[in-house]
Amino acid sequence: MKIKSSIHARLALIVILLACAHAQSSRLRNGNSIHAPGQPASFLRDPLPDKAVAQGAAAVYTPDSLYQYIDGGADIYLLYDFKKLLHQDFKSGALDLTADIYEMSNPEDAFGIYASERSANYKFIAIGAEGYRDQGILNFFADRYYVKLSGSGANVDALLDRFARMLSARIGGARTLPPVFARLPRDHRVLHSEQYVKKDPLGHRFLAPAYVVSYGEGKTESKLVVSIASDPQGAKSRADQLARHFKLSGKSSPAPELGENGMRGENSFEGRVIARTRGSYVIALFNPTGNGAEMLKSAAQSLP
Amino acid sequence: MKNNTWNRREFIVKPILWAGAAQVISKAESLLANPVDGTAGAAILQRTLGKTGITLPVVSMGVMNADIPGLLRRAYQLGIRHFDTAAGYQQGRNEEMVGNVIKEMAVRDKVVISTKQPSHNFPSHPAEAKQRFIDGVEKSLRRLQMDHVDILYHHAVDSVEDAAAEGPLNALESLKKDGKTRFIGISTHRTTDVLNEAIRLKAFDVALVMLNYTMAQDSAMLATIERAAKTGMGIVAMKTQAGGTVRPDPNLPKELPAVSQTALLKWALHHEFVTTAIPGFSTYEHLEQDFSVAWSLAYTKEEKEFLADNSFAEAAEFCRQCGECTNDCPQQVAIPTLMRSHMYAVQYRNEGLAQNILMSAAPGRGLDACVACKSCPAICRNSVQISRKIAELKTLSAN
Repeated sequence: MKIKSSIHARLALIVILLACAHAQSSRLRNGNSIHAPGQPASFLRDPLPDKAVAQGAAAVYTPDSLYQYIDGGADIYLLYDFKKLLHQDFKSGALDLTADIYEMSNPEDAFGIYASERSANYKFIAIGAEGYRDQGILNFFADRYYVKLSGSGANVDALLDRFARMLSARIGGARTLPPVFARLPRDHRVLHSEQYVKKDPLGHRFLAPAYVVSYGEGKTESKLVVSIASDPQGAKSRADQLARHFKLSGKSSPAPELGENGMRGENSFEGRVIARTRGSYVIALFNPTGNGAEMLKSAAQSLP
Repeated sequence: MKNNTWNRREFIVKPILWAGAAQVISKAESLLANPVDGTAGAAILQRTLGKTGITLPVVSMGVMNADIPGLLRRAYQLGIRHFDTAAGYQQGRNEEMVGNVIKEMAVRDKVVISTKQPSHNFPSHPAEAKQRFIDGVEKSLRRLQMDHVDILYHHAVDSVEDAAAEGPLNALESLKKDGKTRFIGISTHRTTDVLNEAIRLKAFDVALVMLNYTMAQDSAMLATIERAAKTGMGIVAMKTQAGGTVRPDPNLPKELPAVSQTALLKWALHHEFVTTAIPGFSTYEHLEQDFSVAWSLAYTKEEKEFLADNSFAEAAEFCRQCGECTNDCPQQVAIPTLMRSHMYAVQYRNEGLAQNILMSAAPGRGLDACVACKSCPAICRNSVQISRKIAELKTLSAN
């Protein structure tokens, strides 16, 4: 009996192993990606909209090789912790389409790079967490991916739209902007002006990283900056550096009425600034309008 | 591979002729058409851009990394008069920002604006490529809110074939003729080959090339740039601080000192054939630091000490493992593998790891596969001195 059980166990193991090998082989034969779910290559599997057919092999770019594709434009992608780019050309009838799927470290970095290239003048669409189209292009971000589609040919926009929706559905994952933006003041916010800046926000190294939002009242555009330090001491240090910068380049004075470590500053090339800290945050408003102090207070109170 | 203390190569600085090369404009006889704000008693070093007749301060602004209007305003205030952008930077937003600021300051007639148009993935048919190029430039002009730029570059031309491509060349000439650009240029990371072709074509007024301290031993490249300048081509230098010492590359073993910024910029500008450099600063601090060089190219004691220490040059000459060089090698040596091994052997002094990496090279493609051609055909777009590093690795392996 023991011998029989042993044989049965071995046979069972062999069957299991054979089944696994078959499944692997089957995936390869079918052309399905052998990458783990969520990998860029799997997003471009068949079926594709409008019977689009891949033209040649996909190209994969890493942090070391991205510059070969986008030259100096690669620097900013690296800043946002770029991991991998999958580049693939397609043809659908007479239409050409190129898909570039940038995999970043996390959804916040994907938003960061997406927003750095986004102009408020684009036509925005509800794809992924957010997207926009312009002549022959459609870009969006979803979860940790930044997707850039471009195409040529008559009515290519419809194809781009279908491709984008397909990709968005396959990517899944997070569909929102970084949560902090939902907390910041909404009145007079310039739509689609939110940014996540990892390096040198508004020219100040010590403020990185920071969230930045623009507000418009009449002809004045203000920028609200929420700089994230590691702790309250770090925030104070940042606020002190900001005050020192304005003191050296123009004028600066303490403004305790604005709140914790409150300051006011002004110079000839940045204009005016009011700022304060709250915990680990530095909240600064560049070129504040009449109710700037209220906005600063509201922003500070809204932060977690 | 023993842990040898081998002799570092001596860095030989080219004879400095800057005193005769730079035109020093004194306050009393200021030739600047547009006096710089707040420069009472100051003098900015200026040079003329080849045959264009454009005179520029030796330090300009590469706007690529800066989506910061205040930085452009401050750069102008300090005396910068040339701003370089490109269609591909932030998908056109960089051009938009430059255009908005220049318009807001109403200084279009006081500055020199350059932008760049690439031709990657363009149709092969010359007429189609020409039209695509022209369409791209028209979009740039709209974003910049300008009816013309001062210099229009064919962007990132990295092969002789691309330099001579009919479509972009015809487009550049057409755009110049139509007044959409005053001058046309070529930008490249494969300086020697592409610039030689540009010289042959006699088509370009300006060349934008990489020039930094890590290339000091590349005599062929330096000679080519000088030759281009002698034909009347204006030379603008990029990557003068070796790709950004303030944002240390993870391959570099340590953060570089602040003095490296000005030292490296001065080194590049000591080459009299360079008209101006376009460092890509993105903070007010670095703007002031970089532009301080425009007042004097004389090295400080600290800058001299920094340049005399070759460890930076060796560290910054890093292989990005792109593998492009491999196809240049007739022996198909696994160059990226050898470069990694060199890095561990020389910079990190980790012989064991260096040896392991050497052994990981594919059979027949390792260190022994290199036959030390008389002139190594493998070219690195990041200016890694491949043949020198392989020779060093062979020496280390032999001991």
